[in-house]
Amino acid sequence: MSSPESLEENSAQKKPERESGDEEPRVGVFVCHCGSNIAGTVDVEKVRESAERLPGVVVSKGNKYTCSDLGQDEIIKAIKENHVNRVVVAACSPRMHEPTFRNCIKQAGLNPYLLQMVNLREQCSWVHSQQKEEATRKAIALVRMGVAKASRLVPLEAREVPVEQTSLVIGGGVAGIQAALDLAQMGFKVYLVESEPSIGGRMAQLDKTFPTGDCAICILAPKMVDVARHPNITLMSYSEVEDVQGFIGNFDIKVRRKSRFVIEDKCVGCGVCADVCPVKVDNKFDLGYGKRKAIYVPFPQAVPLIYTIDKDNCIHFKNGKCKACLKACQNNAIDHEMEDELVDLKVGTIIVATGYDTYLPKKRGVYKYWEYPNVITGLELERLINAAGPTGGHLIRPSDGEAPERIAFIQCVGSRNKKIGNNYCSRVCCMYAIKNAQIIKEHASETEISVYYNDIRAFGKGFEELYHRVREEYSVEFIRGRPAKLSEDPETKSITIRAEETLLNKITEREFDLVVLSTGLLPSEGSKRIGKTLALSLSPDGFFMEAHPKLRPVDTAMDGIYLAGCAQGPKDIPDSIAQAKAAAASAACVMSGKKVKIEPLTAMVDEDLCVACGLCVEMCPYRAPELYEGEKGTKARVIEALCHGCGTCVAACPQKAIVANQFTDDQITSEIVSALEDVESGGGKTKEMAKKPAAEEEVS
Amino acid sequence: MTSYAYFFGCIIPNRYPGVEYAVRWVCGKEGYDLDVADIKEFSCCPVPGIFYSSDKDTWLLLASRNLVLGQKERREILTVCNGCLTSLLKATEYLEDSKRRGKVNRMLAQIGKKYTGTPRKTEGRRRIMEPVKVRHYVDVMTNDISLEEVQKRTTRPLKNIKAAVHYGCHYLRPTENQTIDDPNDPVKIDQIIEACGATSVDYEDKLDCCGAGGGVRSHVVELANSLTEDKCRNIVAAEADCIVTGCPFCLLQFDNAQKAFTKDGIPVMHVAQFQALAMGIDPISLGFDTHHVSAHSFLRKLRGV
Amino acid sequence: MGEVEKVFLSGLREKLVEDKVIDESQLEPGFAKEIVKYGGKDVMTCLQCGNCTGVCPISLKIDYKTRSIIKYCQFGLKTLTLGTQWVCATCYRCYEHCPADINPAEVMIALRHIAIREGVIPPFIKVAAANLVKYGQSVKPDLEVEKIRKELDLEDVPSRGAEYAKVIKEINVLVHAVGYDKLIGIEEEVKA
Repeated sequence: MSSPESLEENSAQKKPERESGDEEPRVGVFVCHCGSNIAGTVDVEKVRESAERLPGVVVSKGNKYTCSDLGQDEIIKAIKENHVNRVVVAACSPRMHEPTFRNCIKQAGLNPYLLQMVNLREQCSWVHSQQKEEATRKAIALVRMGVAKASRLVPLEAREVPVEQTSLVIGGGVAGIQAALDLAQMGFKVYLVESEPSIGGRMAQLDKTFPTGDCAICILAPKMVDVARHPNITLMSYSEVEDVQGFIGNFDIKVRRKSRFVIEDKCVGCGVCADVCPVKVDNKFDLGYGKRKAIYVPFPQAVPLIYTIDKDNCIHFKNGKCKACLKACQNNAIDHEMEDELVDLKVGTIIVATGYDTYLPKKRGVYKYWEYPNVITGLELERLINAAGPTGGHLIRPSDGEAPERIAFIQCVGSRNKKIGNNYCSRVCCMYAIKNAQIIKEHASETEISVYYNDIRAFGKGFEELYHRVREEYSVEFIRGRPAKLSEDPETKSITIRAEETLLNKITEREFDLVVLSTGLLPSEGSKRIGKTLALSLSPDGFFMEAHPKLRPVDTAMDGIYLAGCAQGPKDIPDSIAQAKAAAASAACVMSGKKVKIEPLTAMVDEDLCVACGLCVEMCPYRAPELYEGEKGTKARVIEALCHGCGTCVAACPQKAIVANQFTDDQITSEIVSALEDVESGGGKTKEMAKKPAAEEEVS
Repeated sequence: MTSYAYFFGCIIPNRYPGVEYAVRWVCGKEGYDLDVADIKEFSCCPVPGIFYSSDKDTWLLLASRNLVLGQKERREILTVCNGCLTSLLKATEYLEDSKRRGKVNRMLAQIGKKYTGTPRKTEGRRRIMEPVKVRHYVDVMTNDISLEEVQKRTTRPLKNIKAAVHYGCHYLRPTENQTIDDPNDPVKIDQIIEACGATSVDYEDKLDCCGAGGGVRSHVVELANSLTEDKCRNIVAAEADCIVTGCPFCLLQFDNAQKAFTKDGIPVMHVAQFQALAMGIDPISLGFDTHHVSAHSFLRKLRGV
Repeated sequence: MGEVEKVFLSGLREKLVEDKVIDESQLEPGFAKEIVKYGGKDVMTCLQCGNCTGVCPISLKIDYKTRSIIKYCQFGLKTLTLGTQWVCATCYRCYEHCPADINPAEVMIALRHIAIREGVIPPFIKVAAANLVKYGQSVKPDLEVEKIRKELDLEDVPSRGAEYAKVIKEINVLVHAVGYDKLIGIEEEVKA
């Protein structure tokens, strides 16, 4: 198939094309066998024959594969030799081959929108494979409808709009970092917006990565530094995207740069301020196990290495009494009067990489996370075994600081659980538990480790091998069963787990020093707000929905907005990077074209009929219609670049002032009328069915 | 003011009349003087462990018959038993399904009855119906009357008494529609105990089953008793003076089972009996004679002997 | 059983014979659907995680595993379920913690319905049902208790009241109309 560019060139050479809008319709019908996909059920010859007799039809042909070169040549021949000026292809879903045939008739000099697809495969032969006769009758009716509409098609022109050569990446985790770096490397300007004081995201909190055991921050930090240094990247940390308007190629963004009370250009990250700061609070980055000052960087490798004052805990903001940091800073970087700043950006594409949060067990739940100090989450464990973490990498029990000798992992906490509404698998918990078991064993080989699991999902490259290794080399024990009860010894604070060992068919009670809950992944808190701002749809699991689960996994339903990393669903680091690179490539596709083509199948407002009631503005899922002040006063108009041609506004408009191109009332009515044609002219079952009162009501 | 109809069920009138006396006393003239009536035509709820377990159609039909009686009198049904509560409450949920309701009403027509629910409000000429309300004694005491009131009416604070509360499964589960209390962290009976001036002691596995439900007591009594024994061991460890429950079937199980594994045992009573004591009733009226485990030691401690 | 078997198989001979390979003839294909018919949820969605067994107070006491019963249901091993379900105390703990949102307690209830229809009817069901049609209550009045009621100045238990005959009649009519008397075999007790 030709790319849009070559299509462009072709048409440029062949112009002026036969627009054919005013000519008397001469319809060509091409009925596809699709091998046996259609022909196995539908009598294609009968369909072809009946089409031949329809008014306006000058050619009716059957083809083994209409989409093949041979089939396409036949269409071109008919246009050239028989002067066909409307084409009906009765084959598969328009989602499959409409672009193919548009391109084909354009090559023959016809306006590409003078094509009508009739779906004989997905909506006929495949669903009626057991009722061949009825399927054929339905196919005949469908083709008749297609011909009726084709006679009323008018030529349409695709419009082009310029594209801003800049991208916005929301979220500075590993996915956002990678997408930003790739785009910058390709020569596009990138704004990377991160809500936390440093980029790095969740990966920066992890100890080692599975399955290879690479130190997470060691492989991430160079990328973080690259972001800071890259001339094409503007890093906006401690910032939030407040508003997004516009459409593909032309987004207007408002970013709030939260005031960190430290002047970014002046701070050199020396840390003198933190040394003198008298306030010590829990460090969120260490999940409460480590401390930081009220002026801080969350971790030593932070990028940008600029300090931030935590207003809620700073004494100065409480009573104005402390100015320790102000006095200590030799660069005069501290500014307690600093205010939030709103920055306007213009970008052509947006990549959403808002990441995930981990599931937090419920208060007074079965696993007693809030009640027992020695029950921790997997992410907390990452901090406790991390050499840069609060314990310097020495694993301890929170209750007494002793090294645990018996550790249990409980899998699927907050995942695969209909009771709490998280039905999905979080995809990383099996492997992070196995990986952490290995790390613990490497440090203290005598530690006994048991993993309570339902299913072990070691599906990625090298995963099964790691799963094998922890059993073979480290004797980690795997218990198939979901623990039912945890109880704490009031003195030793050790925890007894009761569970059915399902493969043993026995209930076991075993004591552990430390219990790690392998908590699942949730859409991040911030992503909900971003989703609303961008009008993105969510999958049933709450993560952002891709445009197509298989064929368009990084696109969203909104043109020019792409997804990367866990914002779209739980995934591990390599998958996040891969998706980030794909998102960057998709964004680059749009931006490298300088201009973007806008499908003309959009809604249009007849200003003479519009009363500016605003209903269309409210109803549209894509924010395409807007009210504006024009020559005729306040009127609605549709921003074509945003319109998907769904027709919601057309149906909603009480004035019938909106028309959808290629789905006009006249065109649709002609289809309905022709669908019911054989009701009057006889035709067995169809007639009886159509005579039912419900069907008659539809016509009237 | 809400009007109620007593629903004592089977066990209370026929095995623990002291509970019935206590409930009537607390709700009557001597106590809160509620608008509460007797409906003499009530039958067994019917008991879920037998009828809900063997034939749901029969269960729903017999439960509906009771609900119709409450509906006719426009009274909320005041149950004193977890079994009655769960049986009647579940029946009202089942009857929200119009197909099931129609089937039941065709049967009820044979005895001249029909379940419609009670009118909530009238919109024009249309009456909006709602299910017949089924309440639990603890629910009424804590929500309709309030803990402050319970505390205010405590004339004989049971200061030196340590009570172990047993809620009973069907007070808590299934959780969707049982909205009286937090099913994972119930507090209402404990609060009543505290409002009576006594101490509610915490003990291990407090929310566990007594063992009697679902027909287990009738089917394999040893199995039921062994569950009770576990509970009692934890209650003894918490040094409780008595067991207080909101369910007469749990009461019966604790009361009967204890003789199977211990000589003395801990006295068991319904929360209404406990409350009546704090409100100054003469203990002789509480019918402790019908209990298997003697309340003697408990009453001595109460008197401070 | 010979000495050798006693020593080396410690009385397991019968078990060995019982636990032979399950062949398809023992499986009942539509069993999961039958459970749904009696109000149970679809057992095929069970992940066999064993949480239900772990929280079940009965599973701690006897050789009964909630999860195993659900597995039998998935397989269609109807014969293995008949009888076992009567030990469920319907405490609904299994339901509260089930990640697949099955309600094992309600599955047990459905299994009871199925067992009853297979003629496996525990005697206590009949006793309680007979009490109901006779007294309107599922427990029998107790003379000692009635004496104490008098002492407490409580009215007689409902079933002693003269007007209660009408209630008994209504119950008998309903029990007969719905066919419960025939189902559990108390036709003789019912006077419809």
